[in-house]
Amino acid sequence: MAETFQNLYLGFSVALTPTVLFYAFVGCVIGTLVGVLPGVGPLAGISLLLPATFGLNATNAIVLLAGIYYGAMYGGSTTSILMRIPGEAASVMTCIDGYEMTKKGRAGPALAIAAVGSYIAGTLSIVGLMFLAPPLASFALRFGPPEYFALLVLGLLVLAYMSSGSMPKALAMAALGLLLGMIGIDTMTGFFRFHYGLVELGDGIGVVPVAVGLFGISEILLTAGLPTPPAVHKPKLRELLPSRQEWRDSAAPIGRGTLLGFLIGIIPGSAHIISSFVSYALERRLSKHPERFGQGAVEGVAGPESANNSATSGAFVPMLALGVPSGPIPAVMLAAMMVHGISPGPFLITQQPELFWGFIASMYVGNVVLLILNLPLVGLFVNLLRIPYPFLYPAILVFCVLGVYAVNQSVVDVWIMAIMGALGYLLRKFEFDTAPIVLGVILAPMLEMALRQSLAMSGGNYAIFFSRPIAATMLLVGLALLLLSLRPLLARGADWRRSVGLEEKRALGEENP
Amino acid sequence: MTLRLLTLFLALLFLTAPAADAQEPFPARPITLVAPFPPGGVADLTARPVAAAMEKVLKNPVVVVNKTGAAGAVGMSFVANSKPDGYTLLLALSSISIIPEADKLFNRTPAYNMTQLSPIALISADPTILVVAADRPWKSVKEFVEDAKRRPGEISFSSSGVYGTLHMATEMLSHAGGIKLKHVPFGGAGPALTAILGGHVDALASGPAVVLPHIKAGKLRPLAGWGAKRVAALPDLPTFKELGYDIEFYIWAGVFAPTGTPAPVLKALRDAVRQAVEDPDFKGAMAKLQTPIAYLDAPEFQKFWDKDARMLADAIKRVGRIEEKK
Amino acid sequence: MWTSDRVAGSALVLLAVVTAGETRRLPLGTLHNPGPGYMPLLLAVILGVLGAIVALRGGGAPRLIALRWSEAPHAFAILAGSAFAAFALERLGYRLTVIVLLAFLLGVMERKRPAVVVAVALGLSLGSFFLFSNLLKVPLPRGPWGL
Repeated sequence: MAETFQNLYLGFSVALTPTVLFYAFVGCVIGTLVGVLPGVGPLAGISLLLPATFGLNATNAIVLLAGIYYGAMYGGSTTSILMRIPGEAASVMTCIDGYEMTKKGRAGPALAIAAVGSYIAGTLSIVGLMFLAPPLASFALRFGPPEYFALLVLGLLVLAYMSSGSMPKALAMAALGLLLGMIGIDTMTGFFRFHYGLVELGDGIGVVPVAVGLFGISEILLTAGLPTPPAVHKPKLRELLPSRQEWRDSAAPIGRGTLLGFLIGIIPGSAHIISSFVSYALERRLSKHPERFGQGAVEGVAGPESANNSATSGAFVPMLALGVPSGPIPAVMLAAMMVHGISPGPFLITQQPELFWGFIASMYVGNVVLLILNLPLVGLFVNLLRIPYPFLYPAILVFCVLGVYAVNQSVVDVWIMAIMGALGYLLRKFEFDTAPIVLGVILAPMLEMALRQSLAMSGGNYAIFFSRPIAATMLLVGLALLLLSLRPLLARGADWRRSVGLEEKRALGEENP
Repeated sequence: MTLRLLTLFLALLFLTAPAADAQEPFPARPITLVAPFPPGGVADLTARPVAAAMEKVLKNPVVVVNKTGAAGAVGMSFVANSKPDGYTLLLALSSISIIPEADKLFNRTPAYNMTQLSPIALISADPTILVVAADRPWKSVKEFVEDAKRRPGEISFSSSGVYGTLHMATEMLSHAGGIKLKHVPFGGAGPALTAILGGHVDALASGPAVVLPHIKAGKLRPLAGWGAKRVAALPDLPTFKELGYDIEFYIWAGVFAPTGTPAPVLKALRDAVRQAVEDPDFKGAMAKLQTPIAYLDAPEFQKFWDKDARMLADAIKRVGRIEEKK
Repeated sequence: MWTSDRVAGSALVLLAVVTAGETRRLPLGTLHNPGPGYMPLLLAVILGVLGAIVALRGGGAPRLIALRWSEAPHAFAILAGSAFAAFALERLGYRLTVIVLLAFLLGVMERKRPAVVVAVALGLSLGSFFLFSNLLKVPLPRGPWGL
């Protein structure tokens, strides 16, 4: 323990030097700017700016990239809350309740709670990273394809708790999303599926254009033509801060989101994206007033945002402790290290203590910097909403196009965004919930690949899922959750939550005013 | 109002009209070097020092652009179909030979043909090495092959994807050794490495740079290398050729231009790359990446490429369509 | 009779059938060794079943003609603008495309004053290009004449 604190002291002495602080700050600012762009999340942000770091020395470069990473996560929640445009795939859940809060004039509190929740989650998860990195990393490596499959099946079950409308509709949207995720090269056999001659569809349709189109563009399509433009809230200073009740309501979700996000984040692969979805479902399940979700429940913002942020720290655990590229973002960070001559491996912590502890310390610093940057900016951002809608939405559209294009420099992505926007418009007109589609697109390729890899490993034997302890445990938990959720259905023939939610929607006339 | 807008618009366009470009010396504009893989990958990390060094030699900007997708097919077909004026170049890996063959196997219109690209120069050629998880019993290739013969189809290996470079390398070993291995494909070299480190598969063919730290840490054990010569960082590691298997495989990176680029432009590019690989900054960058420079000028590169492509085509035909072998 | 849910459900069933047809070309494999066509077919079937459920239970939904489509023409115009942006982005370059897009949306659809339209279109297009392409080195397409 004492050694850890000594190392931390070393780390801080590296991190708090003016140069490193400068790079951390610059990274945070750039990250926020890039993150505010719809669709451009941390991965896109780091990838785009990686080349710019080649001229710097190793510590500065890594600190800059980490700053961009965190900044992008913070920036992503801003557009999600203010304009219902997901800043990145993981912010989709924040869009739902965050935007409802904005419509009620509670944009300031939503942003503030998102920032504070992210900060707490970020800091606590870094503590976890510090103390638990090596043992957790070894545990995380034991997640092979069967465990991954079990985790993703659990993720699928989340869908049952996500929507406020009717169950068959939500499940149909999930199936649609899963089907959309099937587009692309089949990694197991090399077949192109549903690509119709477009090479760009080889990697699938990408969750970013789908999320931005389904949420952001459809929102513009629905609102721009309304005869009376949406009411512009002129918030007073008092209204920028969360009320005491909102703070109280957020405390537990932040705590749960942090823990949940961190655990999901350490698992190698891209599963950490689903941490915000799982957190939303968890909060909804545990809440005493689940019908508030979808109408502006602050728990629906606090939980997912915290889960998001701590998942990002969790994703670094295998990378730092073992030098394993545990996902696309750590892979880019590893590449950045390699370019600077540092070969990351199991001995990174012991051989390069300045780098490791400097990195950790800079993550603390980054979180603080972002909190300081973002809280005052809440007022600025909320004032952006005062711009008359006829001017605002073209600007939003331009930024959506810019953001979606920037991720892959692909025009096909922009087309997909437009098509998904049209689809989202129709779906919302017909009262379908669009969030399950996004989750489906994320889960489908991973789920299928994990299943087929597991079967390849076992030679076609399904028993592999039950002979491995971690996978078996998760599947049993999933089964239990499924049965629990079906119980009210069997008992009363109707999910009372669903009927209350549906009735309330009709009464308030929210969908078709 | 519309008329006014239109006039303003046209005025803007005129203001930004360029000078006529007649017979200008090459290069007169920034050159784009397309890396068909995402940032942080081998192609990207090789492309950037090359671009920086070429920039110094040509005294003209050389910009790296990532055009990713479909295991590189998007970027490669982009350059293959672009104007052959020397301003759009490609930095490709050995997978350039694989994609058209795989397309033929599936009766798809190929994304591009290898004849659409002319080689400029080979930059690096990393021999692949075979590693096994440290807790597995095989200490040499002999033990590995014998065990594989005893239990055909049970020893598993991971790869970066079906028909990918790592898959093809292992396939060549299977063919040469007369053994049958179990293939578990992953979505990239990173996940393939994670899988073997977690003990979920037994073996992996990989470029040396990424596995060296793990070998040193004792998590992975190298058995042999696919190169003609031994790997510099692992002088005790035998090559497959030494052990009697006639196989050679490199993950190489080279610069290409679209076929039809005028000869003087090609010559200028070849000269630029030839000088670029001598640049000390470039050498330093590649040393940091632990990738040895293996420069070959265009004619030798063409021969190398042809031989490599033939080898890969044979391997792909042997593998055939996966689901047809049961 | 034709409620919104019934229409939507039927559309989903149709989509499911078409998709299932498309998977014919892919090898199916077996339960123990699923091929590339396995999951898509399974999902298409599930989608079809769910679509049918939605359609059959759709009696309680509002009628199709009762849905409000008043903003549809405006939405269509915005979609057309987005399609134009996708089409023109790499042909005209980022700045020109954005200028035209904004001029269309602000000038034609929203009928703002020309001076305002020009100012906003130029400002936003050039400003965002400068910020993201020059400062942040995000590659944005350039059109003819390097625009």
